[in-house]
Amino acid sequence: MSIGLNGFLLASAALLAVGAFATVARRSALTMLLGTQLMFAAGAIAFVAFGRFTVLSQTPAAAHENVAGVMALFVGAVALAELALGLAMAALLYRESRSFAVDADRG
Amino acid sequence: MPLIGAVQEPITSAPLVIFIYLVLILMIAGALAGILLRSTLYAIGAFSATLALVALLYLTIAPFLLFAVQLLVFTTVSAALLIGLLRETSGIQASTVGPFSREWIIGAAVAAALLALVGVVAAATSWPIRVGPQGIVCCPSYLPLVTDGYRVALATVIVLIGSAALGCGLLLASSRHVATRTPGRRG
Repeated sequence: MSIGLNGFLLASAALLAVGAFATVARRSALTMLLGTQLMFAAGAIAFVAFGRFTVLSQTPAAAHENVAGVMALFVGAVALAELALGLAMAALLYRESRSFAVDADRG
Repeated sequence: MPLIGAVQEPITSAPLVIFIYLVLILMIAGALAGILLRSTLYAIGAFSATLALVALLYLTIAPFLLFAVQLLVFTTVSAALLIGLLRETSGIQASTVGPFSREWIIGAAVAAALLALVGVVAAATSWPIRVGPQGIVCCPSYLPLVTDGYRVALATVIVLIGSAALGCGLLLASSRHVATRTPGRRG
């Protein structure tokens, strides 16, 4: 029994698919925001998995792992900033129409 | 020259592999629950659990700092922002329970226990502060890497987060100002 890079990349792809489904198919602005966050998380997991399981040419493994971690930190920070702005827009949307629905016939 | 060289050995320790599979399955299930649940509060809970599971995943394959930041910063700030939105719009009102009631005391005890656990973990792993011959060093493995090697990226992220905070504040403040002057469409 073992798990390598492929397992983590599959999980990352599944998380990305869930996030993409939420962003494209759901009508609620809040769910769409959660979907984008899930896609960010999927990208960060892929970064970390590549850092853990691969070796860049002519780069020590530890340094490589640290670089992947730093990338994941930056991705998380950008995701938080995006979430904050998106939530402010969702709050405005709710104040305007008393609903988080984003399509035209939200009534 | 290939960008990616040899693939390192996979994880073969049976308990760890089972734990990782469990975390991965729960993470996907949590993500699905987060987007499919009708109740906003439950969706936020499932989403926060998903982010916490991502932190657990980092604990198994990444440096400890990433786990700690994911759990303590990204998960809690995301959950707080989402709960804030919910409170601002549709749902949660301020608690009617007094500050010294039994529920508050139990909640404070649980929070203190979690904080103590974080303290123990931080002390056992020398993160984020390490005391050594050079004095007190914060984030010893990452800080030089981030501040020396990624100055532009760090500055960009700081500007981005600052802009986002400013934009949020202006958006909410302006809408509040408009809301006090004009009644809503539905009266």
